[in-house]
Amino acid sequence: MSVADSYQAAFAARPARAEPGWLGQRRSRALDSFRRTGFPSRRNEAWRFSNLAPLTEQAFPPLVGGAPSPALLDLVAAHRLAEATNLVLMNGVLAPELSDALPPGAASMARAPEETAFADEAESGPAALNAAFSGDGLVLHVAAGATLEGLLHLIHVTSAERAASFHVRHFVDLAEGARARLIETHVAAEGAAHWSNEVTNIRLASGAEFLHAKLVGGGDSLIHLAAETVLVGDHARYEGSFLGLGGRLARQDLTVRLGHKADCAIGGLFLLHGEEEATLASTIRHDAPGATTREIFKSVLHDASHAIFQGCIRVAPDAQKTNAHQLSQTLLLSDRARIDAKPELEILADDVKCSHGATVGALDEDQLFYLVSRGIPAAEAGAMLVAAFAASALDIVSDDTMRRSLAAQVQGWLGRRA
Amino acid sequence: MLDIKNLHVSVEAEEEDSEREILKGLSLSVKAGEVHAIMGPNGSGKSTLANVIAGRGGYRVSQGQVRYEGADLLALAPEERAQKGIFLAFQYPVEIPGVNNMYFLRAALNAQKRARGDKELDAGQFLKLVRAQLKRLDLKEDLLQRAVNVGFSGGEKKRNEIFQMAILEPKLALLDETDSGLDIDALKAVSDGVNSLRAPDRAIVMITHYQRLLSHIEPDHVHVLAGGRIVRSGDKSLAADLERHGYGSIAGEAA
Repeated sequence: MSVADSYQAAFAARPARAEPGWLGQRRSRALDSFRRTGFPSRRNEAWRFSNLAPLTEQAFPPLVGGAPSPALLDLVAAHRLAEATNLVLMNGVLAPELSDALPPGAASMARAPEETAFADEAESGPAALNAAFSGDGLVLHVAAGATLEGLLHLIHVTSAERAASFHVRHFVDLAEGARARLIETHVAAEGAAHWSNEVTNIRLASGAEFLHAKLVGGGDSLIHLAAETVLVGDHARYEGSFLGLGGRLARQDLTVRLGHKADCAIGGLFLLHGEEEATLASTIRHDAPGATTREIFKSVLHDASHAIFQGCIRVAPDAQKTNAHQLSQTLLLSDRARIDAKPELEILADDVKCSHGATVGALDEDQLFYLVSRGIPAAEAGAMLVAAFAASALDIVSDDTMRRSLAAQVQGWLGRRA
Repeated sequence: MLDIKNLHVSVEAEEEDSEREILKGLSLSVKAGEVHAIMGPNGSGKSTLANVIAGRGGYRVSQGQVRYEGADLLALAPEERAQKGIFLAFQYPVEIPGVNNMYFLRAALNAQKRARGDKELDAGQFLKLVRAQLKRLDLKEDLLQRAVNVGFSGGEKKRNEIFQMAILEPKLALLDETDSGLDIDALKAVSDGVNSLRAPDRAIVMITHYQRLLSHIEPDHVHVLAGGRIVRSGDKSLAADLERHGYGSIAGEAA
């Protein structure tokens, strides 16, 4: 049986669920779509730099749950944030006993999400499999004018004894002028390779603000694919930060559509070593006039690691007064490390301010010498420069609590490497 | 303290044949408590000498030796040289965006203390030390909260070098063209700073093109570096001679 066929078989064999009719149909359609397209190949421009071999050479049967292992409980404990409402998804299943109480009236964890949660835009093979198999996920509604109390922290922990996949699907729906903050942590315990496959649909009505930060903390066993789609209404604001600190293979797809005078800030920071590969593939669509985008992507690459940044900004013909700036910067700290950076501006309006830039380089010799000439050991001096380089990627995170939390993770990573 | 004998140094190149020799048999001896001035025309190898002593990469020593406190200096990594008390005030201080000046200097001081087996300073102790020195050098405290040398004026960068020197208290300080680009006030502040650091257990080597720094900081010995060698040594009157007659006459003697 081919790898693709194994997902068909798993779908046919899955236990019956009490689900609404529309959802069953939606799942069947998604599976049909996957049957036709399969996993994306390198001929597909959006995926040409990604090496999906770890994902496509073997089957990862969809799994739900499993007993919480001590290793997973340790991971949860290590990643809880004292200043947040922690929600735990263990191998794709909500663990209420490990989760904090939700803030009143605003959020719910749901097994039978609503139809809009499945209203994906163009669906890749992995996202189609997510639609077919997804179980739990965060469903977050915030009413008009309301602000979600506190910071939500979604902790995804996964592990597997043999190859397995976990499919989670989130839906965030902020009504007019609503505000919410979400931080996500994805970490895996040691064990067999497994695939965590996440789809997130976000709708921000006019004037809403959503701050989202996501950390993929790795574990060599982890293959993580994620597709996030954000519809940003008029005068609404979306902030997305993606911190990639590991995983065998990690890829974040991000599609953002901006309404009139909407604002979008995206930060990406990858710190990779070994043979890790991580991708940030973003498409920001300026569909209406007067919206702004600020996107900064940074990567620090050790050993034979590989980072990919595909950043596309499209400005529609009537999206005049668009202001969009993108920057990609890479520190290559090894001869074997690799970066593929493909910035792309497609501008169909004529009255816009748009720019992009990309740099790739090693640590600056003059800066290093300056530091060591003052007595700072070479390794520490290098770490100081890397930390300074990395820190500016978090500048776009406007929320202090979120930025501190991400900065602590970056510090921890740098400390382990020093 | 510092003994240099017959030092030959080339700038490293891809192929050895194309290496250019800058220092061609330089000898120099500096004792504790002394202030030396090394003067010379542009391109004579002054900065190369300072860089080789501080341990900057990109140079190849083909002959000769440099001994510091009796040991082979060239065998040490640059950070080890600093930890043993060598300090280079840069001709062009480097900007390091994202690294806080205060954090950097405390890391440097504590790295040196650690290497010597001394107790490190906590933030409070360090701040106290820093405030006292800032005052002496007429530096504003907000410079400390900025990134290293980023957005500093030329004069502020040079003062920051002397400020670092005051905090790190080296045994051997090399000042590479510290006077260049300074206006009169800054020159005075920097000179006063250096003079206040003169001590019986500390040696200072000033590298300069002009005599003007030497009227503020009086050297015990003056050397003329030309064509990669010390071609003349004398007391401070030599600097005044040079100012009157230029380097041409002496460089001619060397040829």
